[in-house]
Amino acid sequence: MEPTLENHGKQTGNPMTFKTVLNHPMFKKTAFLTAAAGCVLLPHIMTDTYYLGIINYMILYVILCMGLNLILGYAGLLSLGHAAFYGLGGYTTAILITRYGFGFLSCLILSGVIALVFGILLGLPTRKVRGDYFCLLTIAFGEIFRLVAQAWIGFTNGAMGIVGIPIPTILGWSIRTEVDFYYLGLILLGFTWLTLSLLVHSKFGRAFIAIREDELAASVMGINTAVYKIIVFGIGCFYAGLAGSYLAVYQTTVTPSNFRLEESCLMIIMVIVGGMGSLLAPIAGVIIMTLATEYFRGIAEYRMLIIGVIMVAVLLFRPQGIFGTSAFKG
Amino acid sequence: MSLLTADTIGKKFGGVIALKDVSLTVEKGEIVGMIGPNGSGKTTFINNLSGLYAPTSGRFMFNGEDITGLPAHVITGKGISRTFQNLRVFPNISVLENILIGLHCKISTSLWDVYAGVLKTRKVERQAREKAMAVLELADLAGRHDTLAKNLPYGKQRLLEICRAIVSDPHLLLLDEPCAGMNPVEMDDLAGFIRILQKKGITVFVIEHNMRFIMSVAERIIVLANGAKFQEGTPVEIQKDKKVQAIYLGEEGDL
Repeated sequence: MEPTLENHGKQTGNPMTFKTVLNHPMFKKTAFLTAAAGCVLLPHIMTDTYYLGIINYMILYVILCMGLNLILGYAGLLSLGHAAFYGLGGYTTAILITRYGFGFLSCLILSGVIALVFGILLGLPTRKVRGDYFCLLTIAFGEIFRLVAQAWIGFTNGAMGIVGIPIPTILGWSIRTEVDFYYLGLILLGFTWLTLSLLVHSKFGRAFIAIREDELAASVMGINTAVYKIIVFGIGCFYAGLAGSYLAVYQTTVTPSNFRLEESCLMIIMVIVGGMGSLLAPIAGVIIMTLATEYFRGIAEYRMLIIGVIMVAVLLFRPQGIFGTSAFKG
Repeated sequence: MSLLTADTIGKKFGGVIALKDVSLTVEKGEIVGMIGPNGSGKTTFINNLSGLYAPTSGRFMFNGEDITGLPAHVITGKGISRTFQNLRVFPNISVLENILIGLHCKISTSLWDVYAGVLKTRKVERQAREKAMAVLELADLAGRHDTLAKNLPYGKQRLLEICRAIVSDPHLLLLDEPCAGMNPVEMDDLAGFIRILQKKGITVFVIEHNMRFIMSVAERIIVLANGAKFQEGTPVEIQKDKKVQAIYLGEEGDL
């Protein structure tokens, strides 16, 4: 049979191999439904709040890393200031809830929007500043954000941070327990995955990839590379804002030390270990890195060393990351 | 009215004069060739035309519209596509995705449609895929739409780059040394393919060093030397021209 779009992937008549089974739409559907059901039922199986707490942090990092992966893995822009957008979201929610009595849902949206706006502003220089220099700019932005949050005591309460963020309520659902936060995180994660998947499977996602692969050729394909780089940066930061908002209500505090350069680095490491340029791949990186950090909590001073070793090992033996696309094989 | 009129195009890089007063026209439906010794400004000329550089002087009129110095993505939208001398397919994505990126300027999806018009976007994407497959069919690449571009043989990658350029139905296709690195069989295939494109109504402007190829495919040839237009004529006239032979083809009998 002639391979066409219609029968592509179904591999009719071909011998059943591991790969054809994996690519079979029925298998994909079943796997997806099983995973979704597993996610929904998880808190009823794993009732230990300690483990559920770890999973909630994982969800938080998956949202952050999926946004970062859009910027880094799809468009190929290295941003080491992602924690700043995370922090913008966190502080937006913290300040609006504690001082101005905003509802959580509007805080969540505004946190995303503010991160988006700052993302667009920081994305503007991509027109002139390229590659490594842009990366330096993002580091600078991240540090400026943290220092401002630390120094502007009147607005952010300085190094003490903002404490006592009340229990959030969405449409009458008050989110108190770890289980509640798990479901809130799951909803946000679902939203992130759905919207990102719509984006990367449109001409926008292809344009981002084209910019990563060859910016000059991309411009000759009719892609306004300057505008698309700003769009991708803004959208990637939007999800960091959402994650920040989640962090604020989950932790009930935000402090400048939540949003240090180390956080940005950790996110980059998670994306690289999980695999760049594939939507769900960072999940693997998040799981490995969060488990490693938790497991070695007792020897906190050596934690970064262990994370470093894991990253070097991944880069040596699987440079594209655990589930990454071959673009990063090096 | 000519499809393309280049009027006294000049380009300086600092003190280096890369192009001086190059004027030429391309008529609709033609296959025009451009030859010239290394460094004579051929690639600079199409870089200026496709918007990668802005000319220092002169202007380009395309379909009656002044396109001088517009950015590359705008010029592509107006119907001028190109390929590169040193092959620039997107290596790590599939053949089909390469073609779909070539269709970028023809896909009307807005950012709003991506989220709010899911069904519309899906329909547009399906049509884009059909169109992309049709172009691959034309180049006999449809069977390999799933292959990563970098895994195609070199000649096929060249063909893919041309497909990526023509999928957006350009009025004018600029080919910068499409034969570089090809073997004679691949070259003949390419010549045939260019003629198919001409029949489909695409005007082709091709830069090439390979004389056998360019003389067989082009209907009119423009010779550049030292950044200026040196001669123009049919392949037969150019081959006979003693001055062209002197600057470019070397001694008589080399051909």
